[in-house]
Amino acid sequence: MSTEYRFVEDLPDLIEASEYDDHPEGRLVRLRISWDEKGVEVLGDAFRPDMLEALLEKMGPDAVEQMLCG
Amino acid sequence: MVAWVPADFYRAVDGGLQCTLCPFRCRLRDGDTGACKVRRREGDRVLTATWGTTVEHWSSVERKPFYHFRPGLPLLTLAPPGCSFRCDYCVNHRVSQYGRDPDSRVSAPDADVEKLVAAAAERGGGLALSYSEPSLAAELTLELGARARPLGIPLVWKSNGFLTPEAVERVAPVLDAVNIDVKAADEDAHRRLTGAPLAPVLETLRLLTAAGVWVEVSTPLIPGTSAEDRQLGRIAEFVASLGPDTPWHLLRFTPTYRMRDQRPTSPERLADAARIGRAAGLRYVYVERALGAEGRATRCPGCGVEVVARGVWGQTESLLRDGSCPGCGEPIAGIWTVDERTGA
Ligand code: SF4
Repeated sequence: MSTEYRFVEDLPDLIEASEYDDHPEGRLVRLRISWDEKGVEVLGDAFRPDMLEALLEKMGPDAVEQMLCG
Repeated sequence: MVAWVPADFYRAVDGGLQCTLCPFRCRLRDGDTGACKVRRREGDRVLTATWGTTVEHWSSVERKPFYHFRPGLPLLTLAPPGCSFRCDYCVNHRVSQYGRDPDSRVSAPDADVEKLVAAAAERGGGLALSYSEPSLAAELTLELGARARPLGIPLVWKSNGFLTPEAVERVAPVLDAVNIDVKAADEDAHRRLTGAPLAPVLETLRLLTAAGVWVEVSTPLIPGTSAEDRQLGRIAEFVASLGPDTPWHLLRFTPTYRMRDQRPTSPERLADAARIGRAAGLRYVYVERALGAEGRATRCPGCGVEVVARGVWGQTESLLRDGSCPGCGEPIAGIWTVDERTGA
């Protein structure tokens, strides 16, 4: 079954604009993993959203939360 | 998941019903769905899937982006499914490509107009249609506007501007501000990228400007089209033709969807593009993130002093006095707030 995507108002940034020049190919993916009694949460940020989505989907999440642009 | 309700914006023609909302002007036989995939004919009427919204999100007016319209205004943002374009780089494809792309499986419960307007009023905010293509939700826009306008609640669109002139004429009176994308400077490039002609977009911008709607323009730097200097120069000239005070937002390209093999736009290219805009005579050219706070700042075209500073997430500090520069008194074009000092 394919992953459910949920659209949310806000997600924290893990990449700063000042880092853009260091990654001209846009290959940077940054993850922050946290856990509590309810489970594990993986927050991701990337220049290439499809790369990050593929990575997150491989982890078999209940859903992926995503911000919309605009 | 998505309800179909009776639509407006169509007329009887020989051999069927013709939709008059966007310049494709689809002729619909019974059972046909339009090119947008969110309007279809059923018997002697046309239905639309755009009375529902996939999200009800609060975000600041700067995030749309609008930089010269009510700084700091919170906007209750709706996104009915669908788009009249099929841009290869669309970051919001799961919402915008509803009906066209099997990956788009959104649900869109009916919008409760009264409740939405009340929520905007309670927070002292406005209403926005964004993320997908708001012009396809013209009926919802008219209804929101009819309820919001008497209460002084602003209604704005982030749109591709692909409407017929007669549709523009109907929606303009309920819109306070629009931000419209210009994604290419010539017809071939625009059609390749979006699947639609460019001329109607430019015409919509002219008509909305003439109608007194506050207009800002965005251009994403798409490799192969708008990222080229020649294209940027011609787009900037067009924006300047609307008026040199028209804010122009330059957006960084994100490699995604059907353009995932390209590189993201470098900050240097965005700085070049901003120079091209200023060389075309534009007074207000913006880059949201890549050039830091300076890319988001409004400077007085008279004396160069910074008059509005913006954070990434819409925190805004305005030094304007009655819409003018506090240093030299030059009026700064825009719809500013009553309390010019806080931008609240
Ligand atoms: S809005 Fe849809 S149905 Fe109407 S003309 Fe445009 S593509 Fe066709």
